[in-house]
Amino acid sequence: MRIQNLVRRALMAAALTVSTCVALPSMAAENLSMWVRASGANAAQRLVDLWNSGHADKITLTVIPDNQMVSKLATGVGAGDVPDLISFDLIYMPDFMRAGFLTDITDSMKGDANLPKVAKAFTELATYKGRLYGTGFTPDVSILIYNKDLFKKAGLDPNQPPKNLAQIHDYAKKIHALGPDIYGFYFSGSCPGCNIFTTSPMMVASGAKMLPAAAGDEPLAGSGVKEVLQLFRDMWAEGLIPKSAQSDNGSNFVATFKTGKIGIQGAGGFVIADLKKEVPNMDFGVAFLPGIKEGQASAFVGGDVIAIPKGSKQAAVALQFIKWELTDEAQLEGLAKNNILPSRSDLANNKYFQADPRVVTTAKAIGIGYVPWVFHFNDMVNSDASPWIQMIQSAVFDGKVDDSIAKAKAKMREIAAE
Amino acid sequence: MKPALRRYVGLVYVAPALLFVAAFVVYPLLNLIRMSMTSASLLGGGAFVGWNNYLKAWRDETFWHALLFTLKYTAYVTPILMLGGFLLALLTAEPGRIARFTRGVVFLPVVIGLGSSSILWVGLLDEQVGLVGRLLHDFGLVAQPPVWFVDANRGLWAVILTVVWKVIGFGMLLFVAAIQSIGIDIREAAMLDGASYWQRVRYITLPLVMRTLLLTTLISVIGSLLAFDQFYIMTSGGPRSETFTSVYWIYQNSFIYFKQGYGAALSIILLAIVLVLSTLHLLLTRRGAET
Repeated sequence: MRIQNLVRRALMAAALTVSTCVALPSMAAENLSMWVRASGANAAQRLVDLWNSGHADKITLTVIPDNQMVSKLATGVGAGDVPDLISFDLIYMPDFMRAGFLTDITDSMKGDANLPKVAKAFTELATYKGRLYGTGFTPDVSILIYNKDLFKKAGLDPNQPPKNLAQIHDYAKKIHALGPDIYGFYFSGSCPGCNIFTTSPMMVASGAKMLPAAAGDEPLAGSGVKEVLQLFRDMWAEGLIPKSAQSDNGSNFVATFKTGKIGIQGAGGFVIADLKKEVPNMDFGVAFLPGIKEGQASAFVGGDVIAIPKGSKQAAVALQFIKWELTDEAQLEGLAKNNILPSRSDLANNKYFQADPRVVTTAKAIGIGYVPWVFHFNDMVNSDASPWIQMIQSAVFDGKVDDSIAKAKAKMREIAAE
Repeated sequence: MKPALRRYVGLVYVAPALLFVAAFVVYPLLNLIRMSMTSASLLGGGAFVGWNNYLKAWRDETFWHALLFTLKYTAYVTPILMLGGFLLALLTAEPGRIARFTRGVVFLPVVIGLGSSSILWVGLLDEQVGLVGRLLHDFGLVAQPPVWFVDANRGLWAVILTVVWKVIGFGMLLFVAAIQSIGIDIREAAMLDGASYWQRVRYITLPLVMRTLLLTTLISVIGSLLAFDQFYIMTSGGPRSETFTSVYWIYQNSFIYFKQGYGAALSIILLAIVLVLSTLHLLLTRRGAET
């Protein structure tokens, strides 16, 4: 009997040892690698630091220059050497999903309580053929900013930003009347990215559909495109926009506004902290980018998405991080606390933003914003030779509004068919 | 040692150089040619498409416009650099503290990267905050600070101005070295014969620095045909794609549109054009030098 007990105990001990040895590797803390593009590195670092402070699995962030992300990921996927997580400019999402660079997370994210609260623009963009491949990470969004000091001087109510296109025109005229070197409106006329960010939301708010998701789709559909281009053309012809706007490739996107001589312009959420730091005495307001009619508004949701590259060696833990970054803790303590916008619309009005209503307005813009779901975004929009920027330049500076739209549509159809 | 064996020994001596050229010139070039016949893209693809990319390039208006623009830029900037560099060398070749100081000041921008100098000039030429426009305005030369990059032609001249500032010192230095290598006895003999300063420059200095002139011209022509940084930073190809250079358009296709196959085809075409122009230049200048 005693021998039987001894044998039984020995067997149990052996089984326990074996099971412990088997279980150990999966219980051991993991080290994950994550790539982030340079523009989003600061925000990503905040989240990663917060995660690392409370989790046994640690994440190491590698910053990749913005313009090298696509080539690094493409060669990494080809060579089977990819990070466990990747955060990149959201405009590449459709191309990456189609190219098979990313892991399908649909089933794993099913039932996640926070996913439905993420801004619609992110979820729609990260969906390809009904499957989900990522979610929002560190967003930015476009807004309208206006100089309240100039509004007061021009006899306008500084608490009433323009609510439609006609008001932008009207207010710009009144502000320009203050002096020849004071301008009513500004936009970067040679910057395709700046204009998809700040000009296209006015078109979308006015009912336009911007870019074709598939070869047969109509690009630049709806009268909103023409209405906005005509507004810009009229303001340009009337001298309400400074001449330097024509050649600004984005290097003076907000620098001109900081001079205090610009009344109204489109910008990004990042500008609030920037203006408060650089020109602390300037009184400026923030509003949604409006459309033709009062009540219409939109925004371009930009920033970075997060996904798991195909071939990730720690996909399970990477997924835990994605789920975690959508929690209240990560969104509020990792992002909002550090003055970074959350990707969840329900947290726009949080305790950290309440001190400055302008930040709340900006965070809310994410909820009403759009992002075009399109392949070849660079060809159509972002490149210096894109039909998008050609259209804006030809319409605004040459006055060929209808012709420029027709040419851009034809070129965009050609690109979509590739 | 037998002559045949001696030949093999010679081969061993040149083998490292041959291997280097094969690995870093021939192989990449052959790979580029192969890639130019595929639909290679960073986002997938890579199927063999034969001459399709070359046919596409033939129909690509922006590429040919960019090539013409590059030739125009080369035609403008090269004589300015050569003439300016030579005149500066004449001024500073003589020994003396002021000459040495001037040489140093003119050469200083050469050590700055082209990218950095372009960013610097974007700021200096800016209409709102730039120093150049403000100076022109304050001296009463213009009613309003000019907007340089609003017009392709004005933008081109602004870029030329910045490139001349940046690289003229390099040509000057080569010319100074060439001028200083001319024997003092030749110049003294000419002076004894009563030759004026400009006669000495025309009949002695210029012929004796001809080889340097040809070399710097060739360097300048090739460098200008491959211009990229300054236009990328200063004009972004605008307005309306009018200031794209050939290399900029290749970059655009390869790294912005991710069409590497097509970018490779454009690179091969540009390589052929640069090769033909450089050969032509060498042949013409050699004939000129001989006559």
